[in-house]
Amino acid sequence: MDKRLEKTLRRVQKPGRYTGGEWNAVYKDWPNTDVKMAFAFPDVYEVGMSHLGLQIIYHAVNSRDDALLERVFAPWADMEKQMRETGLPLFSLESRRPLRDFDILGFTLQYELSFTNILNMLDLAGIPVRRDDRAADVYPLVVAGGPCAFNPEPLADFIDVFIIGEGEDAVNDLLDTYLESQRRGEDRRQLLLRMAGISGFYVPSLYRVEYNDRGKLEAVKPAVAEAPAVVNKRVVTDLSEAVFPTRPLVPVIEAVHNRAMLEVQRGCTRGCRFCQAGVIYRPVREKEPQTLVRQAEEIIHNTGWNEISLSSLSTSDYSQIKSLISELTGSHTEAGVNISLPSLRVDAFSVDLAKEVQKVRRSSLTFAPEAGTQRLRDVINKGVTENNLMEAVSAAFAGGWQAVKLYFMIGLPTETDVDLEGIADLARRVLDKGRSLSRSPGRIKVTVSVSSFVPKSHTPFQWEPQDNMDELKRKQAFLKQRMRGRGLVFNYHDPEGSFLEAVFSRGDRRLAAVLEAAWRAGSRFDGWSEFFDFGRWMKAFEATGIDPVGYAHRRFEYGEIMPWDHIGAGMSKKYLEREHRRALDGEITPDCRAGNCPGCGLCPTLEVKPRLAGGETIAPLHDSLQ
Amino acid sequence: MHRYMIRYSKKGPARYTAHLDLMRELERSMRRAHLPVAFSEGFNPHLKLSIAAPLPVGTEGLAELAEVEMTRPVEPDQMAESLNAVLPPGLKVWEVAEISSTNPALMAALDQAAYIVQLDGEDLPVPLPDAAIEEFLARECVEVRRRGKDGKEKVRDIRPGIIKIEALPGDDGLGLRMELKTGSVMNVRPAEAVTALLEHAGIEIDSADLEITRTGLFLVKKK
Repeated sequence: MDKRLEKTLRRVQKPGRYTGGEWNAVYKDWPNTDVKMAFAFPDVYEVGMSHLGLQIIYHAVNSRDDALLERVFAPWADMEKQMRETGLPLFSLESRRPLRDFDILGFTLQYELSFTNILNMLDLAGIPVRRDDRAADVYPLVVAGGPCAFNPEPLADFIDVFIIGEGEDAVNDLLDTYLESQRRGEDRRQLLLRMAGISGFYVPSLYRVEYNDRGKLEAVKPAVAEAPAVVNKRVVTDLSEAVFPTRPLVPVIEAVHNRAMLEVQRGCTRGCRFCQAGVIYRPVREKEPQTLVRQAEEIIHNTGWNEISLSSLSTSDYSQIKSLISELTGSHTEAGVNISLPSLRVDAFSVDLAKEVQKVRRSSLTFAPEAGTQRLRDVINKGVTENNLMEAVSAAFAGGWQAVKLYFMIGLPTETDVDLEGIADLARRVLDKGRSLSRSPGRIKVTVSVSSFVPKSHTPFQWEPQDNMDELKRKQAFLKQRMRGRGLVFNYHDPEGSFLEAVFSRGDRRLAAVLEAAWRAGSRFDGWSEFFDFGRWMKAFEATGIDPVGYAHRRFEYGEIMPWDHIGAGMSKKYLEREHRRALDGEITPDCRAGNCPGCGLCPTLEVKPRLAGGETIAPLHDSLQ
Repeated sequence: MHRYMIRYSKKGPARYTAHLDLMRELERSMRRAHLPVAFSEGFNPHLKLSIAAPLPVGTEGLAELAEVEMTRPVEPDQMAESLNAVLPPGLKVWEVAEISSTNPALMAALDQAAYIVQLDGEDLPVPLPDAAIEEFLARECVEVRRRGKDGKEKVRDIRPGIIKIEALPGDDGLGLRMELKTGSVMNVRPAEAVTALLEHAGIEIDSADLEITRTGLFLVKKK
C-alpha cells in the first residue's frame, strides 16, 4: 500500500494531512495488541487536531497495554478524488492500515453539518454506511459520541453504538466490554446486548420507534430487556483525577489552534437557555490549581509549544483563575510561554485577566452579550447587563486594545425589531466609548458577529421554532443597514446552514434517508461554504418526501414525545419546561454555584455534585445573578 | 551570538512538511531540547533560524542545511544529540558545526544541489534510450514553461542550470542522478529538468510519479 499511497500523496494539496508522524504520536505493536480502535474525526485534519476531546481519548486508550487508538480525518476533496480513482481505502494516520482492519471505529459528533462526512468516510473505508448492511462480524463496530450524540436519532441507522456524555471512563468500558465479548466468543448481537447494559451506551438497533398515523413520533421504546428506557449521560466525577493528555499530539501542519490546551474546568451552570453545552457538561467541575500548574509544566515541556490556552466554557468563572494565572505567568514567561484565554466573560474582571496574560495588545478581545436588550437577555438568562459590557469594553480600550468583537444571536424566542435595534445601539455605544478612550480614535474597530438561533435538544428552548430563512435574512439586512459606517464591521452567515442544523438537531430517525440521499448526491463538508450546496439538500428532502420545515420551524408541544426523550442529559424535562415558561415571562434563574439550587434534577439523577477547587461546593461568582 | 550550521535529513512522513511548517516544527523541537535559541527583537520576536533552499513538499532530503543562532555556546555534538531526542519521525540531525559570525548567510552562499530521481517502470511508457542524456545535454538551450507568482506563464532557459545528469543502473523504470543549480540566481527544479529530458526523447510522463531525493546542497566556492 505504501508505494500507492506515496503516489497519491504527491498529487494532493496538503499531504501532511494524511501522513501522521507528529511529535507524541503513538505507534503500537499491531499484532500484539488485543483491541484496535480508530478515532474518526469527520472533518479535515486541521480542524480535528484542534479538538481537545481527540487528545483526551487518544491518551486514554493508548495508555492501556491491551489497546491502541489511531486517528483518521475526513479526506479533503482532492484526496477523496485520488482515493476513489485509485481504489485506495481510507486508512489511519499511524499504521496506515485500512479502517476495515480495526475492531472499533469511533466517530466524534461535534456539529450536525459534519454528518455527511461520516457516511463518506465509511464509504471510503469500504464499510457499508447503513448498519443493516454491515454483516455481523466482518466490519468494525461503528460507535459515535460527542455533543451531537445527545440527539443521536438522525444517525441511528448508521451507527452501532452511541456513547452519551463524557468519554474518559466510557471509552475504557467500551474496550473492556469488547474484549470480554471476544473472550467469550460472542457474536455481534451478543456484543450489542452486552453494550446496551453499560451506563451511557445507547444501542439504537435495540429500540423500537413508533409513529402515529399522522406521522408524529409516538415512542422510542426498548425492544429487549437489556436496553434501558432512558440512557443517561456519563459524567466524570473528579476532573483532577481524570486522565489528561500532558503529551498531546503536536500537529505538523498548522492546525486551527496551534497551542497547548489545558482544560481548567468542565461545565458551566450559568444556565443560558439556548445553550446545549451548559446542559450536557453540567455540573461544574473545577480542577485543583496545583494539578493545573503541574499539567501546564508537563505540556510545555513535552510539546515545545509557547502558548497555552486555558480552556473551558467560561474560563473567567474558574474560582482560582487569578492565582492560577499569576502562578503560570510567573513560572513560564521567562521561557517565552504565553497564555491565552479563549472565553472571556463580559466584565471588567475578565479584561483584567486578559491584561495580565497579554503583554502585547495584538489581537482583539471578544465578548458575547448574545442579545441587544436587557429584556431579551433576561429571556435567555444571559446574566449580562449593559453596564457589564460597557465596563468590560472601557477596560479593554483603556488597556490599549483597539478592536473588540461582539457576538450576538438573532432569531431568539420573543425577539422583535426592538431587540435588533438594541444590537446596533450597543455596537455604536461601544464604538463611541472606544473613541473617547483611545489615543487614536480613528483606529477603533468594533466587529459584530451574529449567528442564527438553533433550537437544541435538552435545553429550555428545545420546543422553540427557528425563524424561517426569509425572516432571518430580513433581520440580517435590518442589522446590516444599521451597522454601516467607519469602525463598524458586521458579520453574519447565510441562514441555510443554520436551518439544516436545526433540522438535524431536532430530527428523528426518518432523516437517515435524507442524509444518505444528500451524501449520495455529493454533499460533504457542509460546514464549509465552498462545499455547501443547499439546493442539493432541498432536492434530497424532496426526493425522500421529508419536510424539513416540520423539524426546524415548528413549535414542539410540551406534551409531545421528543426524538431524544430516551437520552438523558440529567436535567428533568419538567425543569426544562419550567425554565421555558420562565423565559417567556422574562424571569431569570440564578446560577446554582451561589448555593440556590433551582432543582434541575441533574445531581440526584446522575449522583454527582458540583465540584469547585479546594473541595467547595458553593462559590458565588461576584457578578452572578442572585 | 553563536551561529551553528545543522545538517539534517528530511524523510518519511517529514518529507511532506512544507517550509513554514518545518520552521515551526524546528522551533518547537529546539524548545523541547531546551536549547538557548536566540530570538529577534521587536513586537513579534521570531527564532533566528533559517533553512537553506527549502525543499518542495514531497521531496526527500538527505543532507539539508539550516542555520540557527544561540544566545550562549552549545557543544555541537551535544546539540545534535539533544535535538535528535526530540525530533519527530523523519527528521534527523547528522551534524552540527559552529560557524563564524563573519560567514555570509547560508541562503546566499548556496548554489548547487544533487538529486536522485526515480520513476517506476509502470509509469514510464518506454525506456529512455541510452543516448538520450548525452543528446539532451548537448543542447544549447532548454526552454521550459513555468507559471510565475503573478500567475503568468513564463518561458525560461534552464540549460545553464543543468550541470550534470547521469543514468543509474537498474532493470526497470528510470533512475537518474543530477546536479542542478539552486538558489536565487538560477534555480532549476528537478522535476522540470527530468520532464524536459524525457520530452526531448519523446516520452511523456506525469511528473507527480517522480520520486525525488535531494542528496546534497553545496556552497559556492569563492572564485
